[in-house]
Formats: sequence, C-alpha cells, structure tokens
Amino acid sequence: MAALLEARQITKVYTGGTIANAGVDLVINAGEVHAVVGENGAGKSTLMKVLFGIEQPTSGSLRLNGSPVCFANPRAAIDAGIGMVFQHFSLVPSFSVYENVVLGAEPKRGLRFDRARAIAEVTALSERFRLHVDPLPAVGSLPVGQQQRVEILKALYSDARILILDEPTAVLAPQEVEELFVAVRALVAQGRSVIFIAHKLPEVLAISDRITVMRAGKTVGQVATCDVTEEALATMMVGREVVLQVDRAATDQTTCVCQVKDLTVMNDRGSPGCSDVSLSVHAGEIVGLVGVEGNGQEILLDAISGLRRIAQGEITLNGADLLALSVLQRRTAGLANIPQDRLASGLAPGASLAENMVATRLDDPRYVRRGLLDRGAIGRRAKDLIAEFSIRAPGPDVAASALSGGNMQKVVVARELSDKPALLLVSQPTRGVDLGATQFIWRSITDARDAGSAVLLSSADLSELLALSDRLLVFYHGQIVAAFRNVPDLSPETLGTYMLGLKRQSPDDMKAGLS
Amino acid sequence: MNDVSGDRWQTARAEGGRVALALGLALAAAFALIAAISAEPATALKTLLTGPLSSTRTIGLWVDDAAKLTVAGLAFALVFQARQFSMGVQGQALVGGFCAGAIALSPIGATWAAIPLALCAAMLAGAAYGWIPGYAKARLGANEIVSSLMLNYLALNAEAYLVRAFYAPRGETKSADFLPSAKFPALIANTRIDLGLIFAAIAVLVIWFALYRTAWGLKLRLVGHNPRFAEYSGIRANFIMVSAMTVSGALAGLLGAMFVQGRAFGNLAIAFEGYMSFEGILIAIVARNRPQVVPFVAFGYGYLRQGAALMGLRSDVPTEVISIVQAIVILLTASTFTLSGRALVARWFKGGKP
Repeated sequence: MAALLEARQITKVYTGGTIANAGVDLVINAGEVHAVVGENGAGKSTLMKVLFGIEQPTSGSLRLNGSPVCFANPRAAIDAGIGMVFQHFSLVPSFSVYENVVLGAEPKRGLRFDRARAIAEVTALSERFRLHVDPLPAVGSLPVGQQQRVEILKALYSDARILILDEPTAVLAPQEVEELFVAVRALVAQGRSVIFIAHKLPEVLAISDRITVMRAGKTVGQVATCDVTEEALATMMVGREVVLQVDRAATDQTTCVCQVKDLTVMNDRGSPGCSDVSLSVHAGEIVGLVGVEGNGQEILLDAISGLRRIAQGEITLNGADLLALSVLQRRTAGLANIPQDRLASGLAPGASLAENMVATRLDDPRYVRRGLLDRGAIGRRAKDLIAEFSIRAPGPDVAASALSGGNMQKVVVARELSDKPALLLVSQPTRGVDLGATQFIWRSITDARDAGSAVLLSSADLSELLALSDRLLVFYHGQIVAAFRNVPDLSPETLGTYMLGLKRQSPDDMKAGLS
Repeated sequence: MNDVSGDRWQTARAEGGRVALALGLALAAAFALIAAISAEPATALKTLLTGPLSSTRTIGLWVDDAAKLTVAGLAFALVFQARQFSMGVQGQALVGGFCAGAIALSPIGATWAAIPLALCAAMLAGAAYGWIPGYAKARLGANEIVSSLMLNYLALNAEAYLVRAFYAPRGETKSADFLPSAKFPALIANTRIDLGLIFAAIAVLVIWFALYRTAWGLKLRLVGHNPRFAEYSGIRANFIMVSAMTVSGALAGLLGAMFVQGRAFGNLAIAFEGYMSFEGILIAIVARNRPQVVPFVAFGYGYLRQGAALMGLRSDVPTEVISIVQAIVILLTASTFTLSGRALVARWFKGGKP
C-alpha cells in the first residue's frame, strides 16, 4: 500500500544552529491513527510544523499520495488536505462556534455571510464525525474539551484528510479523553488519518495503530502498537530505562501549616472563581488539587500566593494572617511558589541566572543591604544552586534565556526550594517537561515534603497527583466536591466522576479527606 | 552585565561592527544624496566628515552636543529598561530648564548659590513632571506614551508663554543674559565645553551604579524583562515604574539646566531644547539602553550631527537636505538595531560569504 503522507530525511536547522530535526522519517498510511511520541525537545513539534508548512525543512522531502509536495505556508498545507489542532487553540473566544468553524471559508450568498447555511453545515459536520457541540454559543463560554472539538471541526470543515493533533489530551479529564478517542475512531472509520502527538504512553497505546518514536531530533523507530509495551516505548523514548515512581518517607503530619477558611475569590470576569473553599495543609504533607483546568485550583493558588485579591475568607500560615501581607512578605514568611507557566512568569529570560535566583529575595539582608546588592553573596548562592540542582549552565552570569527549557525550569525549582519553604505551592510541575526532568522535579517536591514542607500541588495529570499526594481534593466549578486520602485503590475513574461534576460527596464523607 | 567577561568582548565586537555598518550605510546614502544635489560634492562631504574637528570652537560645539545627547539618552535608557515608553524628556527638560532659568534670573542669580540651587530646582521640577505620567499610569491606567507627549506640548507652550510674559523684553523670544555667576563655567576657555560635561559624566556613573549595583536597579530591570515575573517575585511593579519615570524626569531636568545655564545659551529662551531631547531615543536604542554605552553613542552620533550642521553652513547644500541627511542617518542607525533589522543584516553578511 502506498503511503498517504511520507516525510523522508527531514532536517531542520534553526538560525542559531539548533538542530531540531536530523534526518527524520515519518510514514502515514491512509485511515490510521499514527502516534508520534518523544520527550520534550525530541523534535516532534518541529516535524509537525514542517508537515503543516509553518517551517521549511533545511533538507529532506515530503510526498503526499506519492507525489512530491512542498508547503510554503499553512494555507498550502490546508489546501492539500492537512489540518492541525494546536495545544493552544487559535479560536476567537467572542465568536460563536459556527462562526469559528467557518472563519476564513464562510459560505456566502452574494456578498453576504450565509449564517443559516453555516449553522447547517457545522451541525451536519459535527454529527457526521460524532463531535457533538452546539453551534450557537460563544466559544469562550465553552469548556476546554468542547473548544478542542471546535478546533477539530474547523480543520474538518476545510476538508482535512490528515489531521494533526498536538498533545490533545493534555487539557482533558479522563472521560473527555475517552470522548475524544471516540471521535478519533469515527474519523478514521471514515477514511481520515490522524497524527497524534503525545507523551502519555497509556493513551498512545489505547488510540494509535502505529507509533513513531523520536529522540534528540531523530526517529528511533516505527512500531505497530500491538507489538509494544509501555516500558519498551519509554525505553525507546529516553534511551535508557526509566522508573516513574517516587518513594515517600513517613512524615509527621500533625502540625497544620496553612489553613484556608471559607475563601471566595473572583476570576477575571468578576464571577466567583472559587467559592467557600476551606482546607488545611500540614507539615510533611502533599495535598493534591484535582480538577479539570479552570475549576478554581489556579485561582486558589494565586490567592494564597498573593497574586489575586480575595473577596472573602481567611488564609493563615503558621497561625498568622496571610491576607495582610504583600507577595514579598508572604515569601519571607515561608511561602514558595512554582508557577504553572514557569518560563512566562517564573523567570526573566533577559536577566542573568544569579539575578533570577535572587529576584524573590530582594529584602533579605543576606543579599541586599541598605539597598545595595551584595554581588558576592548573590553569585555564591547562584553557584551553589547550580551545583545542588545540577543545572547545566556555563555560570551564574549567563542570561537565563541561554539555557535549555528543562534547565530554565530547574532554575525556578531551585530558587523556590532553596530556603526550605514552610508552604510550597506547585502548579503543573511537569507540564512540558520530559521524563528525565519529571523524575527530577517529582524527587525535588517529595524531598521538600519529607523535610517538613507543606505542599499544595495542582496538576492536570491524574497519575502525577496519585503518585505524589497524601490527600486529594477535587475541584468542580470553584468548589471542593470531594476529598480523599490517597489510598492504593483510589482510581483515576473515581476522581473523574467528581471532576466532571457527575457526583458530589456528602459533607460527612468529605470530612475524612479534608483534615 | 549579563555576559560572562569572555563573551563581553565578543558582544562588544559584534555590536561595534553593527554600529560601523549602520554608519557606513547612513553615510553612503548621504553621499549619494549630496552628490546628486551639490555643485561641489567633494567639499560638502569633506565638511560633513571632518568639519567638527576643524577648530577648537567646532570641537566645543560637538562635545557640548554630545554631553546633552548623553543625558537625554540616559533619561530614555532608564525608562526603556523598565519597559515604560515615556516620551516626556522634552517637556521635563523644558520645565526643568525654565525653573533653572527663573532662579538664575532672580536675585539668587548673582550669588555663588546660583548654580547648585538652579540645578536642584531643575532636577526637582523635571522629576515632578516625570512623575505625572507614571502616577497617571499606575493609578488610572493612562497610557504613558500619550500622556507624556501631551505633557510635552503643555510644557512647550507654557514655557513659551511664561518666558514671553515675564522674562523676555517686548518682541523678543529670550531673556537677557544671565550673570556670569549663574552660567556654567567653561572647562576650556572660548569653547562651549562647560560644567555640563562633568554633570553628564556623573550622571552616567550614577545611573550605571543605580541600575546594576542597587536592589532598585535590579527590580527595575526585572520589571522591564518580565513584568509578570516581577509581580510574582513580589516586586512592586507600580512603584518601580513611577520611580523610574521620576528619576528619568530628574535627568531630563538636568538636561534643561545644561541647556539654559550652559555656554551655548546663558539665557532663558523659548523652546530652547530645539527638539534635541527626542534624539535621546535614538541614543538609547543604539546603546541598547545600557548607560555605560550611552556616552560613546552620543559622541559618535553628535559628531555626525555636527558635521551635517557645518555642511549646511559651509557648503551649497541647502538646509532642507541637511535635515534629510540627518533623518537618513537616524533611520538607518535605528533600524539596524531592531531585531528584524539585525536579522536582515545577518542575512546580507551570510549571503556575501561563499
């Protein structure tokens, strides 16, 4: 059988000399789900950008249906029947679903936009591919899973024969992932092909027919899904065997470090982003915040760290009121914060490593006296942290932007864990991080816990939460709807039913997991 | 400050090369234009290139301009490092210069206190005028570009009115000359090189120290690099923003005093700064907002500027063409220093290599 899409010996060298792809081969057959897996920085995204015409390969060739093609831009790729759904959606939030889907190729009557026909076409399309979504509401009002469907519909509307899904499951709850898979199977059944980029191996094994594994810009191999196990895939990806689990020491969890009482915080739209939340975190304990993203976990963490004003409620740290303190004072009181978007809000890329590492300690007499920087002490601190967290950097004076993504993440982790925080807030610690770094970050967080820090951990990755947490609190629509002790028989599916609001614990059941 | 010392030379060489290239391009464009217009292009070009060095007087003109451009460049570099695009240096210089002039023309002008008091008044007034757009942004969310530009017009017209109404003799646009005690003493006799040059040098040192050796400076640069990160680190971005604009205003006030009390004027005139303040933007951009580089750029650019002015006086090239040449110099220098400009230059060079 001739391949539908064939990439041969794709090499992409970015200006600046970064080799993102070095002789990559990828063969997609018609009617298959083809997964491309690899660690971060393995070159998956670059390869997809080449397939979709966003980047031009330095060398190598593309063949579509056996004839050579060359996409100068995404438009050319779309015209050739390739569609791509990015991790970050490119939708207009204030436009309705059908407007977003037909945008750029609107059905017209004369010069006028034929809305009735657009709605009818979008409805027909969503029924045909089992991607059910109401065409009328504004996209911004829909949950993430639905928005993703709109993106897929948009690609199908321009008649994509090959659909590239870039880490589509990263933002979804387990049940939503299942629905996505149903839709993907419906697509394949109707002759479309799907390229599925992922790094969660169980999902890859569940949905794909064949798998191409990439490592360090090269293809390591192509395998049929039925022939491999998760361990074998992980070994192919990393090049060595990895064990993703952490051992946690038994800790004394009797001292309550942080208490949140009846907290209500408004979101950016002025409605309650989290309401009447009460919880406590003890020393030596990791409390996992479970929930589909945007259900109040982030807003809660922002309120505790002082980045967001609260509407009502109380937050105390070691018995002292936190609300009266500024961000800096909270940090001095022992709060540390590893933010979700570490590169966007956890670093100043243009400033040096030493400056980045001292940025949160600018009222500390160890580093600043009478307004003057103690450059010796700041440099020593940076050197120590670079050594302690094995950050690969030429020295404390290089700009943070000169480091690789994984090492930039380590800079943030190192800074936040450096002074034995009393309360550590962690959000999506391993998003966009490869397996090696995941292991490192998990280790760092559990080490902080074992040393007596109280940790509040928010993550979209249930396996991460189950691996690390002592207790789990499930958020739905800004409220805690369930609380569990992390016992071995607690399953992702159980959590999922609460995450999607299908069930809600009674106050008595919840009490057991709340303290 | 972010480079390892080994890299620092490399960076300096790379950027030196870029400056040379920008200059080369600008000069080539200027040559072509002059060759097309002038009857004696060789003389005109010679004046452009060597004019500033032709006498101690012209050297004085050049150095005096360079000192003022340095201070204007510093004022812009400071706000740009905090990523605030305040354009208010002109208005702040006018307000500061006016206050300096008012003190110089008062009875204090006859005493030894004239220079220090006028200087303090100028810097305080400039700081206050720089604080306004900062405060308006922090409190009301007013765009600093718009508010600072509007404040420039306000200052221009208010200064002109006040000078005409209270200081200038009827029908004139400038006051009587200050007493010698209120004028900056010349460092080299019979040139315009005066105390202002020393003030400019001190300003460079102070601003460099403040930016790279104090916690305030680090906070300011962090706010400029990534405001979200600054907020997350507990840096009060609003305070930093307002204080950066205020300190920049004080520098601009110093610039005003340097104009009014310097050897070039020594009186209070309408719109005395002649839009030179805005050229500080170019200086700051080419110096990539680093205070230690600002004086070098100011001297280099000041030389070209002076050469062009002398060419206008000494050759048949009409003054309009001089302005065009100056504009081309600015345009080319500035655009080689934007990111895409640099990429373009890099591509040319790559294309040139085998």
